[in-house]
Amino acid sequence: MTAPDVIRCTDVRGMHASLDQLREQIVDLLPRLRRFARTLARDPHDADDLVQIAVERALARSEQLRPESKLSSWMFGILRNAWIDETRTRGRRNRIFAPEELGENVGDASSESHVEALSVQDAMTRLPDEQRVAVGLVLVEGLSYKEAAEIMGVPIGTLTSRLARGREALQSMLADTTGAMQ
Amino acid sequence: MKFSEETLMAYADNELDSQTRSAVEAAMATDPEIARRIAQHKALRGRLKATFDEVLDEPPPQRLVDAARGVPAVRREGNVIPLRRKQPRRGAWPQWATMAASLVVGVIIGQVILRMPTAGAPVASRNGQVLANGTLAQALSDQLASTQASDAPVKIGVSFKSKTGDYCRTFTLQESTTLAGLACRDHNDWRVQVLAQNPKSESNSANGSGTYRQAGSEMPRSVLQAVEDTISGDPLDAHAEALARGKHWGP
Repeated sequence: MTAPDVIRCTDVRGMHASLDQLREQIVDLLPRLRRFARTLARDPHDADDLVQIAVERALARSEQLRPESKLSSWMFGILRNAWIDETRTRGRRNRIFAPEELGENVGDASSESHVEALSVQDAMTRLPDEQRVAVGLVLVEGLSYKEAAEIMGVPIGTLTSRLARGREALQSMLADTTGAMQ
Repeated sequence: MKFSEETLMAYADNELDSQTRSAVEAAMATDPEIARRIAQHKALRGRLKATFDEVLDEPPPQRLVDAARGVPAVRREGNVIPLRRKQPRRGAWPQWATMAASLVVGVIIGQVILRMPTAGAPVASRNGQVLANGTLAQALSDQLASTQASDAPVKIGVSFKSKTGDYCRTFTLQESTTLAGLACRDHNDWRVQVLAQNPKSESNSANGSGTYRQAGSEMPRSVLQAVEDTISGDPLDAHAEALARGKHWGP
């Protein structure tokens, strides 16, 4: 059903016995991967593109998954790296390739003039990349600080300060729409 | 007892050791401000989770399941990312997908010059250098991307500083076809680094609305590549662009 010949020849890098299992575990993880991706990319199609990239990269490097590491953490890490790569490319491309948008907006990262009635998703997109990752991993995915810090490759102190800054920014952006929070 | 905001957040995230946890709980009981802040952190956490949890109930798209199960790419071709969107959206995420769709062909500078009448040509060859000429030279010196007329014969794109510290600007100009290029300041001239033609642009100028008009750019790939190779840092914003013009694009 899933073209076993292809599987064998594209994935000769190891873990033959468990590769099919790994694939099914990744299928089971898809909902969570999609949820994490949506905390990063605002557009749901972009988020799914990101998941697809992460799944393909993970399968191409399945030998790097160590037996003691959690598949979900490993995949979140790959997804996060894919997203950081893409935003760097995109940021540069946008700056160069969208000349008529440059005008007033370039270098004005603080375009937070309209704070009213922001959706949670929109508020997330206004966070700096690494704060978004921290918020996504801890507050949405429910990972521990330790796991999140490992995925991001930073000390726990860095993670917690990113998380704190992300939270404060979200709190103030969403404050108008959540009377309960005031 | 005073607690840092991070400690209160850690409480809300269930990350405190039992001792600190008890201390925070004791403080909560007596200090409504601490209780309020913790409630706020928990509420935000709950709100985020509720928002993003929705996707958990959706069945994942088949293309992701196929990717995980290793269904051969040939069967998935219709879903491959760069081809998926028929209509690239402005500011959409994979900019490279937009680029791939833009089907541009670079034209070597010499060929363009050969085909053009010398008088009034936008470029001229002098001492082995290709320099901007006439309206192009004027636009490069005087026009600001932020204020230019939409029907100006020359449109300035981005302006930036090159790795050698000179100002460079991209431009497009409507001749018999649309030409696009990159020019860098060289003393009092504009040295043209790349000049290329975008075949799609003919349909753009013909029907005005431009079926193939790309997100933010009608720049041929060769020009974009030249920009990427030349640029140092970020492009100038409107303010920096005006300042540079004020200095006549001198260093």
